Amino acid sequence: MSDEATVEEEAGGGIKGLAGKYLTFALANEEYGISILKVREIIGLMEITAVPQTPDFVKGVINLRGRVIPVLELRTKFGMVAQEYNDRTCIIVVEVNGATSTIQVGMLVDSVSEVLNILEEELEESPSFGSTQMDTDCILGMGKVKGEVKILLDVNQVVGKGLLDQLAEM
Amino acid sequence: MADAQKAIEQLLDDLAVKIMNVEPGDLSAIGELLEIFDSLLGHADMAEQPMMVSMVDALKKVFEGMIMGEYSDSQECFDGLINSITVLQEVERGDDANMGVFCEYLQATGYEIDPAVFGISSEPGSDAEVDTRFLADTEMLMAFIEESTEYLTAIEDSVLELESNPTDAETINSIFRSFHTIKGIAGCTDLDDIARLAHSTENLLDEVRNGRHAMDGEAIDVALAVGDRIGKMVAVVKNVFENGVSEYQKIEVDDLIERVNKVLAGDSGEAAGEDEVLGEPLSTSAEAESGSGQGESPAKLDLGQDGDIPDFLQDADLVAGFVSEAFEHLEAIEVNVLELEQAPDDVDIINNIFRPFHTVKGVSGFLNLTHINKLAHTTENLLDDVRNNKIAMNADIIDIVLGVGDFLRSMVQNISDMLEQGPEAYQFFDISDWVAKVVAVQSGQSLADVELPGKDAPGASDPVPAEKEEKTDSLPDAEQAPEPAKVAPTVAKPSAQVAKTPAPAPAATAPRKKSKIGASIKVDVEKLDGLVNAVGELVIMQAMVRQNPLVTSVSDPKLNKDFTQLSRITSELQKTAMSMRMVPIRQTFQKMTRLVRDLSKKSGKIVDLVMEGEETEIDRNMVDSIYDPLVHMMRNSVDHGVQVSEEREALGKPGKGTVKLAAYHKGGNIIIEIHDDGQGLNTAKIRSKAKERGLIAEGDHPSDHEVNNMIFLPGFSTADKITDVSGRGVGMDVVKKGVEKLRGKVELISTPGEGTQFLMRLPLTLAIIDGIIVRVGQERYIIPTTAIQESMRPRKEHYKTVQGQGETLMVRDSLIPVIRLYHVFDVEGGIEKITDGIVVVIENEGRQRALLVDELLGKQEVVIKSLGGYLKDINGVAGGTILSDGRVGLILDLAGLISASDDIGSPLVAGEHL
Repeated sequence: MSDEATVEEEAGGGIKGLAGKYLTFALANEEYGISILKVREIIGLMEITAVPQTPDFVKGVINLRGRVIPVLELRTKFGMVAQEYNDRTCIIVVEVNGATSTIQVGMLVDSVSEVLNILEEELEESPSFGSTQMDTDCILGMGKVKGEVKILLDVNQVVGKGLLDQLAEM
Repeated sequence: MADAQKAIEQLLDDLAVKIMNVEPGDLSAIGELLEIFDSLLGHADMAEQPMMVSMVDALKKVFEGMIMGEYSDSQECFDGLINSITVLQEVERGDDANMGVFCEYLQATGYEIDPAVFGISSEPGSDAEVDTRFLADTEMLMAFIEESTEYLTAIEDSVLELESNPTDAETINSIFRSFHTIKGIAGCTDLDDIARLAHSTENLLDEVRNGRHAMDGEAIDVALAVGDRIGKMVAVVKNVFENGVSEYQKIEVDDLIERVNKVLAGDSGEAAGEDEVLGEPLSTSAEAESGSGQGESPAKLDLGQDGDIPDFLQDADLVAGFVSEAFEHLEAIEVNVLELEQAPDDVDIINNIFRPFHTVKGVSGFLNLTHINKLAHTTENLLDDVRNNKIAMNADIIDIVLGVGDFLRSMVQNISDMLEQGPEAYQFFDISDWVAKVVAVQSGQSLADVELPGKDAPGASDPVPAEKEEKTDSLPDAEQAPEPAKVAPTVAKPSAQVAKTPAPAPAATAPRKKSKIGASIKVDVEKLDGLVNAVGELVIMQAMVRQNPLVTSVSDPKLNKDFTQLSRITSELQKTAMSMRMVPIRQTFQKMTRLVRDLSKKSGKIVDLVMEGEETEIDRNMVDSIYDPLVHMMRNSVDHGVQVSEEREALGKPGKGTVKLAAYHKGGNIIIEIHDDGQGLNTAKIRSKAKERGLIAEGDHPSDHEVNNMIFLPGFSTADKITDVSGRGVGMDVVKKGVEKLRGKVELISTPGEGTQFLMRLPLTLAIIDGIIVRVGQERYIIPTTAIQESMRPRKEHYKTVQGQGETLMVRDSLIPVIRLYHVFDVEGGIEKITDGIVVVIENEGRQRALLVDELLGKQEVVIKSLGGYLKDINGVAGGTILSDGRVGLILDLAGLISASDDIGSPLVAGEHL
């Protein structure tokens, strides 16, 4: 697992290195994908304990079989309008590299779609949006599969750096 | 008697039949068999048949082992068991012809038999033959038994591995090392035969690893045979150790040594030297060891001389092992040196210091840590002289040994740093000063004369070894003639010791009656934490299942009984898991010995440190954290508490002051008590100082006790002058902060003229917190019970605002600022009207606050969990826990909460009342 994960991380400019299996999920009308190797498990929505003094997108913490893990709401994180949770809402538990060990973090998404094998020729650099407010740091690239666009996310960026920065600002 | 006999017969028959029919998975049948074993034991005991008792007991253990799956070939084992029971029946009828079969079987199962009991050992050997010098030092012996067993297992594994891959250098090396170590420790423990055997095998392996001899079938057979033989010998040693000298049994080794040598001679032409080895085995082995220390042996010299830059890092595992061991040894040295100071003539203590030095020397030499090796070796020489009464023990020697210990510790620390950070962390330690000092003291100079020794020495290594070499050569000659101790003062000495000094003799003649060797294993802390976590979850899960409405609605007695049983098991499991993290407080206490010694020396007082309850256990994570507070309290007691002798005598007290350090468990807490018999606190002085600083309000009359406890306030000091040791008013503040951090409390009780007593109350573990669960809106929080002073429903007349915003509550005549938890934590739906809610009065670092919450839900012990990676440092939240309904509850961090509340301010708009 680590082999492929490193490839993905080190690929940087080389977009072709990103080919592989992705778990795709929906946020509003958009489809996102994260490398399947980062996904630990998918769980249904459970009661979340709010943690004070954290950024909006940190919804709180949950009890994952005895471990307390934070849960982020991706909609809020990406500046999208929050939505009432429904029975399709779920938490994708991902594993990211922390300072000393891997850390599990839950990501709240509208719904999980499927596992897709994205081929090299289907990959494309993420387009530039000029100097808008958008945070494109966490986008690895785009995958065009069967006419649909999947936004491929760098999980470490989504939960790692972003969260740390915002926590520091608090 | 006859009845018992009959019963035994009956039971044996029963056993024989049942055991034939038992199925491996049939638990009830197995239980029945165990019961039969037990009653057999009982009857045999009654019938006073010790042999029967031991036989049955042995079989029972084997059987238990079988159930636990300890034997790989259980079928064979099982058949053996059936045969053995037949033998047992024969013996019962008075026919012990097949005893040999029985013992063989037991041995094959790895059960340590006690041959004397089964009457198969030809003769225990006459007293003259019994060579029990090794019993002189039980601690060392215990270590030897435990370690050698480990090494033997390793050897066997490796040798078998070699069989399939005879040229693997790494495996050969590891076998070589294991034998080398066994040789070394056996030599130290005066187990000459084992040392000889291991040594000859080591020679063989050395040839093999240098490519001069092939690791052929014969060599492998021999190596295995040697391993087995040593294993047997170790078993005998262990048996003697546990059951007394009468169990001693001589095991010949010469035949095997010969066999090893034959193999060696077989196709290498170098057998010439081997006779020598046979003739003078111990000295040779010792030479190899001490030789490496002095850089005499050329092979080692090459590697060792440039030991400056750490080539030893190649073998990181070994070095890491050395580091952790060395720390332990150095600690033992310090403790013993301090003891020695009290009893300078106690040979046992000198030995206790000598040995760790010797071990450090040996292992460091083996790892090419030349400097450490040299320093340890020099000191060892000094100590050797001391224990042979060549030079008298004096204060200089004690100081120097302590100093060397400290210096070695920093060197070892550096190695440990290097292991972590790589070779860049290397730091040069100039040992020449210390070596020169040691040598000077050894030659009878006083330390003052050599305070600034041989700086002219060009290098750290050159002049010293020459001097030392001379010494090591000349020392032992005078001491003994017959023993093969020519070049081996260190290895052979213990024997001379026992022979000559009367003091340790009792240990040799009357070994501990039933001192069991507690087997222990080292476990990764992370694994342990994982276990504790999982068990914590198990307990919660079990509670959740039990509280499930579906389950509670069922009123089945069987279910209830099972649940009770389950909760008993889980709580037992939790207790055990928790106890695994506990360590005795002894180590921390022992560090205080050194501190008190240094302090009393510095202040010119004579202080005796009495320790009690060193075996009291404490969470290993807390050990480090209690050290600082302890140091400050000790300092306070020695520096401020105990008076100088003259003053004490004038008051009619003994000139020697006493500080008592005690630990014990009380009501789920561990209490550490420090009690000095000094002058007590000067309450009047503290009172006036406190008034001066405005700590006591005008017209306030706090009790003496309250006043005394003001010394815990930061910056508070009554000392007229600031001494080297204390007086800045920092110490007691550190104590209080440190103890509070551990969620404990510290209190001081002073009796003027009689002394001061510190009471430190700490929770048993950091993993569990006792808390009150409160509700705010839909959220629940846990407030640590230690911080809570009281809780109440506030009344309107007690609620006051300042400038319309600063809210306070009058509680027992003091105004306490109010924190609205819902506001600070931004929770929706919390009660806003203060008289509808509950306030919890908390105290943190001397600050009181009233927390407004909706409701108190109860008190519970909860397991603290980190909020995971990123959410670590949130103001006001110390961590999370899983509540009985499976949801996460947050544990409040009161210091953070108070500061967060200060930042956020009040939700009130001026003039508005809620």
